Amino acid sequence: MSRRGAGASAVLALLLAASACRPGGNAAPGDGVVLRMLVPANERPFWLPLAETFAKARPGVRLELEEGPVPTDLRESLTTSALLSRDGAYDLVYLDVTWTSKLAAAGWLLPLDDAFGEEERAALLPQALTAGVFRGRLYRVPFRTDVGLLYYRADLLAKAGIAPPRTFAELEAAARRLQSPPDRWGFLWQGAQYEGLVCFFLEVLHGHGGSWIDPETLEVGLDRPEAEAALAFLVRARGAGGISPPGVTAYREEETRHLFQSGRAVFLRSWPYVFRLAQREESAVAGRIGVLPVPTLSGAPGSGTLGGWGLAVARASRRPEEAIAFVRHATTLPSQRLFCAPTGFAPARRDAWADPELLAANPFLAELGRIHASATARPVVARYAQASDVLQRHLTAALAGLSPPRAALAAAARETRALLGEAP
Amino acid sequence: MSTVLARRARRERALLLSPVLLLLALVVAVPALRVLLLGFTRTELADGVVSSWAGLATHARTLGDGRFLSALRNTAVFTFLSVLLEVTLGTALALLLDRSFRGRGVLRAVVLVPWALPTSVMALAWAWIFHDTFGMANDLLLRIGLVETPVAWLAQPGTAMAALVVADAWKTTPFVALIILAGLQGIPREVVEAARVDGAGAFARFRRITLPLLVPSLVVATLFRSIQAWGAFDVVWVMTGGGPGGSTETLSLYAYQSWFRYLDFGYGAAIAVQGMLVALLLAALVVRLASRREEA
Repeated sequence: MSRRGAGASAVLALLLAASACRPGGNAAPGDGVVLRMLVPANERPFWLPLAETFAKARPGVRLELEEGPVPTDLRESLTTSALLSRDGAYDLVYLDVTWTSKLAAAGWLLPLDDAFGEEERAALLPQALTAGVFRGRLYRVPFRTDVGLLYYRADLLAKAGIAPPRTFAELEAAARRLQSPPDRWGFLWQGAQYEGLVCFFLEVLHGHGGSWIDPETLEVGLDRPEAEAALAFLVRARGAGGISPPGVTAYREEETRHLFQSGRAVFLRSWPYVFRLAQREESAVAGRIGVLPVPTLSGAPGSGTLGGWGLAVARASRRPEEAIAFVRHATTLPSQRLFCAPTGFAPARRDAWADPELLAANPFLAELGRIHASATARPVVARYAQASDVLQRHLTAALAGLSPPRAALAAAARETRALLGEAP
Repeated sequence: MSTVLARRARRERALLLSPVLLLLALVVAVPALRVLLLGFTRTELADGVVSSWAGLATHARTLGDGRFLSALRNTAVFTFLSVLLEVTLGTALALLLDRSFRGRGVLRAVVLVPWALPTSVMALAWAWIFHDTFGMANDLLLRIGLVETPVAWLAQPGTAMAALVVADAWKTTPFVALIILAGLQGIPREVVEAARVDGAGAFARFRRITLPLLVPSLVVATLFRSIQAWGAFDVVWVMTGGGPGGSTETLSLYAYQSWFRYLDFGYGAAIAVQGMLVALLLAALVVRLASRREEA
C-alpha cells in the first residue's frame, strides 16, 4: 500500500469515528413533528390507538412508539442512558412511580406545574398525582395505576366455612387450616430481593402500624417494634411449619401467579393484573377467586402499596409543547377508556373509575376502586433507589435466616438514616 | 544510507498502523480513561447531576462500605469456584475428546452448543431448573431420594451461589475444553509413546508428560475464565439479581446498580476501577505462578 493510501485510510477511520459520535441524528423528518417514547413491547399495541387519536387531534404531530423490553429494570436503564446523553432521543418518558424522584433530581424532566392547573389535577387520583411531585413540583402525570391486593380461593374458604380474613391472625389461621404443603401452600407473596418485596413489606408494615420513611421529615421507622412485628410475621410465614414455601424468597410476581393459578395456594398477595389472567379458561382457579384489601392487625381494611405508570416530558426534548399536549391527550377520559378497556389496567382519572363503558369491559374495576381509595404511595425521596435496596437486602437477609429480624431492621434503619442524612 | 532507509521504513510502518491505533484509542482508551477519571469525582443530585473533583475520597468510600466488601467476597468466591470447576471438567472433557472414536467430530461440535447460547437465555433456563416447585433439579433429587423435601435453591445464600457456579460451569466448560484440546493436540505423540515403551502407566503418562506440557494451555484457559468470571453480570442478574440478602451480588452488579439506579456515577466508576485492579493483580499472580512452575 502506498503512503497516500495509508493516509487516506487514516482519514476514513477518523470520519467513521466522527459519524459514529454524532449525537442522536434523529431530527424530525419533513412530514411534521415527531415525538418519541419508549414503551414496553407488550403494551405497544394498546398505545397505538392513542397515537392515532392524537395525530387526528393535532395534525402534523406524530407520536412514534419505540418497543422496549418488558422487564421494568431493563427499561429503567435504557431510559437512564437515553436521558443521560441529553440528545433528545425521547421526548416523552413513560415512567414507573418510583423513578420520578431521581430523574427529576437529575434535572432530566420538565416541571409540568404550569401545564397542569388545578382543574386538570383535580381530575386525577390524588395519591397517584402526589407520587409524581418532587420538591414541590409536578414532574410526572399518572396514566395508569396499580395497587397491592390479597387474592383468595373463595371456594376453599366457603367449603370450610371460613370468612375472608381481615387480620393477619385470621389470614395465618385460615392459611394453616386449608394448606397441605408442598402441594398447596397457604400464602404466596413476592419475596425475592427486588422492588416487589418492598411493595409487599410496606403493606405488612403499615398493617402493623409501622412506617418506613416519612417523605417530609425523613424520619425512619424501621427500628421500631411495629416494624419488627411486621418482619417477624413474614419470617414466621416462611419458616418451618409456616404458611409460605421456603422458595418464596426467590419469587417475583409471575412465579407466585403461576402457583396460585394452578391451584397450589390459598392466598396470594399481588397486583390487579392477576385477576384477568386467573379468570381465563385455562386457569385452574377460574371463577373460584375473590379479592380483599391487604390485612391489618386491627381488621380495618389495609392500605395496599400504590404502583403504576405515568408520563413525563424530557427536558432535552426539542418539542416540549407538543409533548405536553400528548400528556394531556393521554389523560383524557376517551384515551383512558381506549387504553384500559382492552388491557384491564386501572385508569388514573377519577371519573374513569365510574365510567359505565369501562365498568362494562372490566367489572372488577368496581371492587378494585374501593381498595384503591386507601392506597399508599412509596416515599418520594431523591435517593429512593438506594433506600429501597437497603431495605431489600436486609429483609431478604432476615427472611433467609442470615440475621435475626431485629438486627436486620436496626442495620437497615441505620443505613437508611445515613443515606438520607447525606447531602441531597 | 541504510539508516535512512530504516527510518523511512519505520515511519511508513507507523503511518500504516495509525488508523488502527486511532480506532483503538477511540473505542478502548478514551472510555477506559473516562471511567478512571470519573472514579475521582463525587456525583450529587441537586437540581441536576453535579460532578465535582473529589480526589481519593470516592475511592475511600469502598473501605467503609460493607456492601462493597461483600460484593468483593462474592465475586472472589464465584470466580474461584467456577474456574476451578470449569478447568477440572474442561480438562476431563478435552482428554475424552482427544481420543479417537466414532462420531468424535459430531460430538466436538455438539459440546460447543452451551458456549454458543446467549448467557441470559441459558441463565433463565437454569433459573427454572433450580425453581423449588417446578424445577428439574428438585424433581431429580427427590426421585433418586437424595433429598426428602424440595430445596429452595435460589432462596438460600449457599445454594444460590452453588446454582450460579453450576450454571456458569455448564456454559463455559466447553470453552475451556476447546483450549485444552488444542493444547493436547500440540503434544507430540512420540513423547507419549516413548513413555509407554518405557513402561509408564496411563496415570503416570498423564501426570509426567501430558500435564506438564499442558501448563501453557491451562494458564490461558484459567486466565481467560478468571477475567470473565470476575466480571460476571448476566448470569447473576437473571438468576438471583444478587439476592438473597445480597449474598450473590458481584462487583459488576453493584457498579451497575450505582450507575443506572442510583445515578452515582463517581462511585460506580470507583467500584469498577477497584474491581479491575484486583482482577489485574489476580491475572499477574496466575501468570507468575505458571511461569515459575515452568522454570522449575
